[in-house]
Amino acid sequence: MNKFYRILKEELFFKLNAWTIISLLVGLFIFLPMAEVLWHFTDTADSWEHLKETVLGRYLKGSFILVLGTACLSIITGVSCAWLVSCCDFPGRRFFEWALILPLAIPTYIAAYAYFDLLDMLNPLLVWIRTSFSINTMIYLNDVLVYVVTILVLASVLYPYIYLLARSSFSNQGSQLIEAAQMLGHSPKSIFWRVALPMARPAIVAGTSLVIMETLNDYGAVKHFGVPTFTTGIFRSWLGMDDISGALRLAACLMLFIFLLLLIEKGLRGGAKFNIGISSSQPFKRYSLDLIKSRLAILICSIPLLVGFIAPVMRLSFWATSNIEKLFNASFLKLIINSLSLATISSFVAVTVAIFLAYVARYFSSSSVYTSNRMAILGYSVPGAVVAIGILLFSGQINQLNGWVLTGSFFMLIFAYLIRFLAVAWQPIDSGMEKNCEQFNNASRSLGSSTFKSLIRVNIPLLKNTLLVAGLLVFIDTIKELPLTLILRPFNFETLATRTFDLTTQGQIPESSIPALCIILVVVFPAIWLNRQMEYKK
Amino acid sequence: MKNLLSVSKIIKVYNQKKSPALDEVSFKCKQGETLAIIGSSGSGKTTLLRIIAGLDMPDSGKIILNDKSINDQNTFVSPEERDCSLVFQDYALFPNMTVRQNVSFGKNALNNPKKIQELLELTKIDDLENRFPHEISGGQQQRVALVRALATSPSLLLMDEPLSHLDQELRENVRSELINLFRKTKMTVLFVSHDTEDAMAMADNIVVLNNGKVDQIGTPIEIYSSPVNQYVALLFGKTNLIPLEFIPDCKHHFFDSKSKEEVVSVRPHQLKITNNDSIKKSKSFACKVISIHYKGAYQEAKLEFKKLLLTVHFEMNFEIQVGSSLDITFKES
Repeated sequence: MNKFYRILKEELFFKLNAWTIISLLVGLFIFLPMAEVLWHFTDTADSWEHLKETVLGRYLKGSFILVLGTACLSIITGVSCAWLVSCCDFPGRRFFEWALILPLAIPTYIAAYAYFDLLDMLNPLLVWIRTSFSINTMIYLNDVLVYVVTILVLASVLYPYIYLLARSSFSNQGSQLIEAAQMLGHSPKSIFWRVALPMARPAIVAGTSLVIMETLNDYGAVKHFGVPTFTTGIFRSWLGMDDISGALRLAACLMLFIFLLLLIEKGLRGGAKFNIGISSSQPFKRYSLDLIKSRLAILICSIPLLVGFIAPVMRLSFWATSNIEKLFNASFLKLIINSLSLATISSFVAVTVAIFLAYVARYFSSSSVYTSNRMAILGYSVPGAVVAIGILLFSGQINQLNGWVLTGSFFMLIFAYLIRFLAVAWQPIDSGMEKNCEQFNNASRSLGSSTFKSLIRVNIPLLKNTLLVAGLLVFIDTIKELPLTLILRPFNFETLATRTFDLTTQGQIPESSIPALCIILVVVFPAIWLNRQMEYKK
Repeated sequence: MKNLLSVSKIIKVYNQKKSPALDEVSFKCKQGETLAIIGSSGSGKTTLLRIIAGLDMPDSGKIILNDKSINDQNTFVSPEERDCSLVFQDYALFPNMTVRQNVSFGKNALNNPKKIQELLELTKIDDLENRFPHEISGGQQQRVALVRALATSPSLLLMDEPLSHLDQELRENVRSELINLFRKTKMTVLFVSHDTEDAMAMADNIVVLNNGKVDQIGTPIEIYSSPVNQYVALLFGKTNLIPLEFIPDCKHHFFDSKSKEEVVSVRPHQLKITNNDSIKKSKSFACKVISIHYKGAYQEAKLEFKKLLLTVHFEMNFEIQVGSSLDITFKES
């Protein structure tokens, strides 16, 4: 208790200044729309009883199966590919090392549209089941197939999150521990299961968390395949039935579901340590695979690349060639400009806010600012639909207070992206500051330099590359974003993502290939550059 | 001379379950003095330095610098407002700035370009102005960090392990350069180090920290020759802890908690061979040579006296053999 009072006293009396106050306010302001959603969890709503009795169970079951299946398949794919490219030597390894991240450029809804007829292809099987067994067996199998196909499609484009982090973890483990295990008589298989994999657990868990969040955030793919999830439920309640309170309750349930998952993971981790604190300068000497094993490795790495990138891009390209005349018109150009300008402005705003928040927390070692930072970045773990509802409530209250109509404005959309993607910018900047700037900030303070001077002359120049990486990450996410943009976009304002969605809901899937390919093209180059940056750092 | 820095009863606890990092640490530093804080790893010396610099906050205690309280129950002067400058262990030179930009970075540094020039010339790095930190050697980086700190004209210069990154030869050169610089600039300096050789050579006074507590404060010679406990005695090099009963006339002795008796710290060079028969009878120890190790400039012998194993240094030309007997005596001076 004494320690609590001491920290409180330090924060209030010695660390409170214009910088920390503004930073606290900015952090809390960004958290406000999410707090709004949680606040309404206990509201009484007539429709809630109905939702509880009819669809809530289905949403819960649908979300749970989808999360479990996608996470498991992504872990198997991501970890096995990461192990092969970072710890084994086989022909084409260097190509797969970067090529395996390419599916990251394809948003989940575009992957779903590229495989839109996969379920139809399975119809003969269903007909055979109906004639051979019973209609109930066919219905049951159809339900299972819907989940299997959705999980397959989602995992095929989401596994790179796990692949990237696991690859980096395997590469950074160095030779020391693996050589120690070799000396103790362990085979490569045993070393993988007993040393490398447990050491990579935090990276795999972090990657899996991203996969889970993206799965819960997805709206386009689950709507297309007809899987009932919380996100589709929120859209149905909000836009289909105009039931605000029902949507709010669902959103709050989803937030609690996510927090529960995060808590379970933290609990499972317990007091285990995954970093032995040895920085091994010796890189791990890769296992050289024989001919059969090399072919197997090539096959294992080719499947996710083929399913997650080559096949959908080829299919989209094939459709696009027959609709190429629609590419060169003014409205399409406007779409591209809208998407690019929105993503550029969002990246700039997110990076500016992130550097300010991270800098103030680190410079003044303020735990209250750090806590408000952590609250502000929670938006990334919350699906876009929930953020959108929080924003709508928030802008409604601003409207009641002073009559400003912010709903459906460009400003609100940017603010929504800031809430959703601040974490994407904040995390690399904060860790960059911790690694590169802490001692220089101390030096700067000891030399009597001002807070602003340290920021401009020391931190920003030292973090130039990190800022670019952070900006590009937000840029990629904003270009791909769909549910948030669908709900909050200004009237008649379209982006590449919303046009793709609109065309597919109108049944014009081949036509939607052009904006979809544009999204992939815009995203794929920064993604390759980011991958190179990671390699360079290593 | 008046006290420039007064540190009283500083307490810092990081983990309630563990002993405090600093436990009621108090000492004073006079104007123009060079004070060394010495201790082994984890003794709390860097924590103490960071607290004086304002980079960490103590749980309680008071710090007065230049007659002004900079840290007490109701006051905390931020690092940028304190009249002191810190030279970091790994120098913390801004990698994106040239040497000139680095040394001009501090508060008010640009107001006095003449001083910067003088310091650059004094430290012989004036020809490196346009180089970046990674383009100069470790010793040069150390001097740049020093000039950068001195350019802000602080009342107190703080240094964290100033010579730890330098190799032995460079270390000795930089050590004498620092002593000359401190003398010329009449700077008050407080530095922490785990190397007693640096402290003995550079400091006017030494504070010995052990597990967050001050064990002893004194001049280098006082601490070396009259340590107050086993930790201090061993920190400053090899010593023989001989029970007081064997040297009852010795003025300085302390209670050894391990052997639970009063002991005298006798350095290896303080034990000499005696040929004088009268001394032999009264004050000498009849020892047997157990082993001999050649150390270059001298030879180190392990001698057995009753149940004690004594370490003694002899000149290289002195002939001794393992198994032979020797009479040695203790010279306190």
